[in-house]
Amino acid sequence: MSLSLSRLFRRSTVFIFLLVLVVFFSLTTNRFLVGQNLTNILVQNSHVILTAVGMTLVMLSGGIDLSVGSVAALCGALSAGLVARNGLPAEIAIVLGLVAGFGLGLVNGGLVVYGKLPPFVATLSMLGVARGLTLAYTNSRPISNLGDAYNFWGRGDVLGVPMPLIVWVTVVVLMTYLLSQTRFGLYVYAIGGSEETARLASVPVNRVKMVTYGLSGTLAALAGVLLTARVYSAQPQAAVGLELQAITAAVLGGVSLFGGVGNIPTAVFGALLVGVLGNGMNHLRVASYPQQIIQGVVLVLAVAIDMATQRIGGHKSKRGSSS
Amino acid sequence: MASFAVTERSWKALLQQYGLFVSFLALCLLLSLATDRFLRTENLLNVLRQASINGIIAVGMMLVILTRGIDLSVGAVLALACVIAGDAVRQGWPSLIAIVLCLALGGSMGLVSGTLVTRLNIPPFIATLGMMTIARGLALSYTQGQPVTGFPADFRWLGAGTLLGIPVPIFIVSGIFLLGYVLLELTPLGRHVFAYGDNPSAAHYSGLSTRQIVLFVYVLSGALSALAGLILVGRLNSAAPTTAEGYEFDAIAAVVVGGTSFDGGQGTMWGTILGVLLIAVLNNGMNLLNVPSEFQTVVKGAVIALALLFYKAIR
Repeated sequence: MSLSLSRLFRRSTVFIFLLVLVVFFSLTTNRFLVGQNLTNILVQNSHVILTAVGMTLVMLSGGIDLSVGSVAALCGALSAGLVARNGLPAEIAIVLGLVAGFGLGLVNGGLVVYGKLPPFVATLSMLGVARGLTLAYTNSRPISNLGDAYNFWGRGDVLGVPMPLIVWVTVVVLMTYLLSQTRFGLYVYAIGGSEETARLASVPVNRVKMVTYGLSGTLAALAGVLLTARVYSAQPQAAVGLELQAITAAVLGGVSLFGGVGNIPTAVFGALLVGVLGNGMNHLRVASYPQQIIQGVVLVLAVAIDMATQRIGGHKSKRGSSS
Repeated sequence: MASFAVTERSWKALLQQYGLFVSFLALCLLLSLATDRFLRTENLLNVLRQASINGIIAVGMMLVILTRGIDLSVGAVLALACVIAGDAVRQGWPSLIAIVLCLALGGSMGLVSGTLVTRLNIPPFIATLGMMTIARGLALSYTQGQPVTGFPADFRWLGAGTLLGIPVPIFIVSGIFLLGYVLLELTPLGRHVFAYGDNPSAAHYSGLSTRQIVLFVYVLSGALSALAGLILVGRLNSAAPTTAEGYEFDAIAAVVVGGTSFDGGQGTMWGTILGVLLIAVLNNGMNLLNVPSEFQTVVKGAVIALALLFYKAIR
């Protein structure tokens, strides 16, 4: 009984918060509840949504990926550089960027799975390494002149539907299918529930975890490409702090930091919540520095609520007391 | 049986420290061969001065990591404590009071992180990531993004002063290392930090007040970050809200290179001292050899991962 109550709470919090914010911003500013603005929210937060999906996969298996912002910047810059400097066709450059993201994700996975490093340390190292490589590759200057074929992915539309929206909806559908309908998805939940049990049940734990980090890297790279295309240039400092937004989105969306609990669609609503908050604050002319403070507070609050509802549900945190 | 275990453990500890010491010497030798600027007195003093800032932060970071935690907020806490204290001293507060204020601010931010960890059970890297964002945002808001500059000499003394021809920061960091050593090795509190890191449940059931132990290490880490900040702004005569970005990397690198384990309860102050020196020499060497600053982050990230992999392998 208490368990199902906690589940209900876990699943509905994000919608309640989202509703509260939408009502609040609709009342306080008349530029919020306008069709164009709502489309903007869906398009401008594509990178948050994509990385939140990747983060959800990693968190469900009991890990974390702090490197998504840096990986997004690096892979966005790489694909942009391949177009602007090497003259590759946009599609090939983008695919190579995604492959790079997958590779970086696999390095994260390898450090965690085979190096047995705690996930936050392994991916924190990657955060530093990938950002450094981004600055080196771009010479700390933006890469622009990407051509229409590249910019189409951030600015174009098909029958009036913006490309970034098409991309993230496709990814969300695919990844939701992967998690809920395939053996791989079952394995991810099993590992997050109890890695030891999963291993004893002959789940290929190492490979599955590698894939979750690989997918997180790939989606981060895709986020970086969309971000680059949307602003017509790859910025060396792009997506700084994106990991904070992605983790906040996932946790607001009911994904447990301890693995095994959560799903992608509600995590997407978590990302939209983060997006609505940012958009609404912009309309209320909250300066960027206070926005940063609020983002930090929201992250801490979201996790605190998550921990509290877990206690209500009778779950005991796995890292809190023993091991 | 028990004595056998102890022997094996100390043998491995010996290998760890010996290996670290040898690689430190090898790095120094390499650098003195590669560039004749390395071994100059002014350069070595410079290395020590830079090491002092990271060293002070690393002592707090080490204690946090010993309790299975992490403090990602050190750089942001440093910045916020220093811009407020710096502003206070410019508005005519006595330097001594401003210095105490700075340390108290650092300690209170550590108290907040520690409370999030101990009372709300928030994982340390999330709690301190949140604190990092909040503190940085507060520092930027407080100063409107502008650096606070122009401090009186007595406020700058901790960072810019000399004593018997030796920079004051070197005395401070030596003192902090000594205090850290005494705290960890000779006091009950130090024993409790190790005991908690080794096995939190066992520590709890042995009647230790585990919450206070964890709170203490975060408060210490915050206060030491602020102290390091006083040295930094004293030297630069300027406290920018963006100062000390990424300092958590250097501190974590020094601590893990020094052999402190993320599994908690394992680590020595000697190891951390060597780790701090090694990172300082590495930074200095990369500067002397004109390695672009972008690659320095890459190298540090790689050093953290490689050091951890190395210790996993030999443990």
